[in-house]
Amino acid sequence: MTERMGRLNPTGSRLLDAQHLSAAYYTPEGNRVVAVDDVSISINEGEVLGIAGESGCGKSTLGAILSLTAREPLVVENGTLEVDGKQQHLGPRSKLPRTWRGSVVSLLPQGAMNSISPTMRVRDLVFDVMRAHDRGVKRSDALDRARDRFEELGLPGRALDAYPHQLSGGMKQRVVTVISTLLNPRLLIADEPTSALDVSSQKALIDMLLQMLDNKIMSGVVFITHDLPVLRTISNRIAVMYAGKIAEIGDAEQIASAPRHPYSAALLGSVLVPEPGFRNRRVKGIPGSPPNLINPPSGCRFHPRCGLAMDICKTDEPPEVGDLMRFSTCFWSQQHPGVPVPVDKVVPAEEATMVDASAPELATAEEGV
Amino acid sequence: MRLINLTPRFWVAASLVIFTLIVGLIGPLVIHVDPHATIGGLYDKPNFGSVSMWLGTDNAGQSVLANLVHGVRTSLFVGLLAGAISLLIGLVMGLVAGFQGGLVDDILMGFTNIALAIPSIVVVILLSVAVNHSTSFSLALVIGVTGWPWTARAVRAQATSIRNREHIDVARLSGARWVNILGWDVLPYLFSYVVMAFVLQMTSAILTEAALSLLGLGASGSVSLGIMLYWSLAWGSVRTGAWWAFLPPTLMLTLIAFSLLLLQASLDEVFNPRLRRGRSKRRLAVAGTPAAVPAAGIVNEPILEGDRS
Amino acid sequence: MDFAKYLGRKAAWYVLALFVALLLNFLLPRLIPGNPVDTIVSQMARGGGASGEQMKQIYAHYMQQFGLNKPMWEQFLVYINQLAHGNLGTSFSQYPASVNSLVGQALPWSIVIQLPAILIGWIVGNLLGAVAAYRGGWFDRGAFVGSLFASAIPYYCLAIVLLYVVGVWLGFLPVGGGYSLGLTPSLSFSFFADAITYWWLPFWSLVIIFVGGQAIGMRSMAIYELGSDYVNYGRGLGLPDSRIVRYIFRNAMLPQITGLALSIGGMIGGALITELVFSYPGIGTLLFSAISTNDYPVISSITLLITLAVLGANFCVEIAYGIIDPRIRAARSEG
Repeated sequence: MTERMGRLNPTGSRLLDAQHLSAAYYTPEGNRVVAVDDVSISINEGEVLGIAGESGCGKSTLGAILSLTAREPLVVENGTLEVDGKQQHLGPRSKLPRTWRGSVVSLLPQGAMNSISPTMRVRDLVFDVMRAHDRGVKRSDALDRARDRFEELGLPGRALDAYPHQLSGGMKQRVVTVISTLLNPRLLIADEPTSALDVSSQKALIDMLLQMLDNKIMSGVVFITHDLPVLRTISNRIAVMYAGKIAEIGDAEQIASAPRHPYSAALLGSVLVPEPGFRNRRVKGIPGSPPNLINPPSGCRFHPRCGLAMDICKTDEPPEVGDLMRFSTCFWSQQHPGVPVPVDKVVPAEEATMVDASAPELATAEEGV
Repeated sequence: MRLINLTPRFWVAASLVIFTLIVGLIGPLVIHVDPHATIGGLYDKPNFGSVSMWLGTDNAGQSVLANLVHGVRTSLFVGLLAGAISLLIGLVMGLVAGFQGGLVDDILMGFTNIALAIPSIVVVILLSVAVNHSTSFSLALVIGVTGWPWTARAVRAQATSIRNREHIDVARLSGARWVNILGWDVLPYLFSYVVMAFVLQMTSAILTEAALSLLGLGASGSVSLGIMLYWSLAWGSVRTGAWWAFLPPTLMLTLIAFSLLLLQASLDEVFNPRLRRGRSKRRLAVAGTPAAVPAAGIVNEPILEGDRS
Repeated sequence: MDFAKYLGRKAAWYVLALFVALLLNFLLPRLIPGNPVDTIVSQMARGGGASGEQMKQIYAHYMQQFGLNKPMWEQFLVYINQLAHGNLGTSFSQYPASVNSLVGQALPWSIVIQLPAILIGWIVGNLLGAVAAYRGGWFDRGAFVGSLFASAIPYYCLAIVLLYVVGVWLGFLPVGGGYSLGLTPSLSFSFFADAITYWWLPFWSLVIIFVGGQAIGMRSMAIYELGSDYVNYGRGLGLPDSRIVRYIFRNAMLPQITGLALSIGGMIGGALITELVFSYPGIGTLLFSAISTNDYPVISSITLLITLAVLGANFCVEIAYGIIDPRIRAARSEG
């Protein structure tokens, strides 16, 4: 039913280890807003890790940290990245190796619309990217390799000769995707790549990403989005983020069918999906709104909106319940190990029919017919 | 209304401008010396004996200090008056053209474009030659009447974009007369532009007055910084080293121009935060709450609990 | 829109503007009360030795010469006719010198201090602005305030200060004029060597201000571009800073190029007072003396030339935009 069925499963060997990542924004008024709070994740070879959450949960910031593209007013305060045995410490004064960007980790940015300077052609950017990592490369060689890559992925070679304004939105997104992977990065971090696209362009992009993964152009993808149906289509594992921390992480199917964190359950309960069995479900929003990160709630950050909150949730930080590949940061989960969260209890009954303004976008995506 | 964040640069500029205003407005009252009275000979050196001789005398034996403070007052007066006239004309033209659109817009903008194409210094010189100013009032008028095209065009661009916004439609539908709409609905949005335009017009007017006076087209009856410079050049004070005759007006003019331009640059930063450097380059989109929370929250660094095995 | 049509419309506007300028140039000086011929004749009379009869003849002769006995509109037609033939008229106060020759002598001096100043100021200023925007920090703050100060000083104020400090106090460079007394302008090396010493101060007083102005403008443009997506993306792909600065430069350049074109157009009237301060024999000094003697053929010729140069530069810029613009306009609309 899903496209993932036809692909090889991830090999299980570790691709990238990110430990204790922390980053904060410094506002003009002098406030320090911690956007990512001590997050650690690991990604395996051949795997697509989806990162989901509402706006402001920190997923884009996490993407910026992983792709080494954080910049003022965002400051990375702590963390280590380990790839292929090489370790890189991240901190306010760390010197990040320029060559890692694009060849070890690579960012596929949100808003690819403006990612190519309006006064240059695609092929100029391609040449510059290649030359930045291999000073002696000849222009003709570089462009030949690019043309081969384009054709391999079903893009017309003449797109190389175009100015950005001559390409359609969907085409631009795919061109930028190819440019981001020109150097065969180990990990591609895709930040909301499908958000600005129509449904058929979304499918084309997702197909291309999976094909690239198959062809081993890159060895792993971090797919950041608030679009849950898309996430389910493409991800092997899903991490759900809330208020700068990871609420739950695990296999995509497990998270979708048996979530163990109240937030994941509520998130999934608020999405319209045209699948059989869903028709009778009512759309429930999550009442309230994500916390102000200048002054987050004490204890578990979700407790003000959680129907299952207990007293301990208000005072203590919840532990990670589970193992490295699948855990849930929740006291309730700790007391009911292995049991999926009852969705109806998470959202208080009287709010059940409200569609909250802060709920993630309701989107329909093809489920891989 | 946006949250206006005033930068240090703004305060520096504002204080310089206020200093100039004080010199010009209060100066003549404090320095109680008649600028036209002869108190000495040609280019007498300054001495600290009497207040009037603090900056020596000029070519006509008059007190340089007295001329200086009166000159600042005149320059400021011309700047304010001419700036206000230019602003008013430009504002009216721009608002009417932008808001009405259509044929009115075309005619007014055609007129403005021609006025813009012809260099204003030319018109101002020609007018001044013809009118032969005797008071700074007529000078201010001439400068004011030639400085409006730039403001008119800028205001019209803004007015055109505002015209199509929803609250204007609401006002129109509720039957308000368009004069009222202009005054109460459109104008507040133009506030930042109006302020910046006025500062620019004033700066330009002051400098134009000085330039005209230096060319010999100044107001013959009054004292202004430009006229002081004119006489100091004509009588070779630079060559003879009588620095008290030309340095004070030069420095004062520079101060006025610099402080006004600094003010304009800092206002630009206040109204366009993207130009600000340092920690504030991007507007934050923190979920739910805008960054207007005043208290610097102490963020708990949570210790990661629980086993990870 | 069809390019020819675009061109035609623009040209029509400029012709209209030119006509208005001609009208102003013609009318305004003639509003001066009094008759310039009176001045000339009375000057001659003061010189002594002309009888009443002769005076009347001379008077009539001059009125005829300058066409002042004809009605206004006829005078205007004569004016236009003469202009069409490139004849700017005859000077009143320096009679019988033709305006053409006066302006022709003065113009090269004006251009020679301004053109190098504009070009060098443009290059150095833009570089300074771009680097300041990119490096940020103290360099930027210093460069910004310095440039702001340099661009805010009225150029004649800087001229006066430079003249005093370098010319009088330190005595390094000559204090006025275009060349040493006693020399006549010629295309010889010794003349150039001498004239250069007179050229330094006016040149520096202009170039400092141009650098400041360009730096400020370029810095604003560059800061704006620095926030762009393509800068962040380029960084994310591992491109070195030098390459990214080049992208920014290319995008911020277009307004700067138009600024350069307009500055060159403003060359004739651009340094009037600087020349006055240095007694430099350019258009400014010529205008000054013309104003003080009410020599309105010279005055209106100079203002006309200034207008022509500015209108011409503006028109060229508009044409250039028409050629370059569709692509960039489309690019910006997508972005």
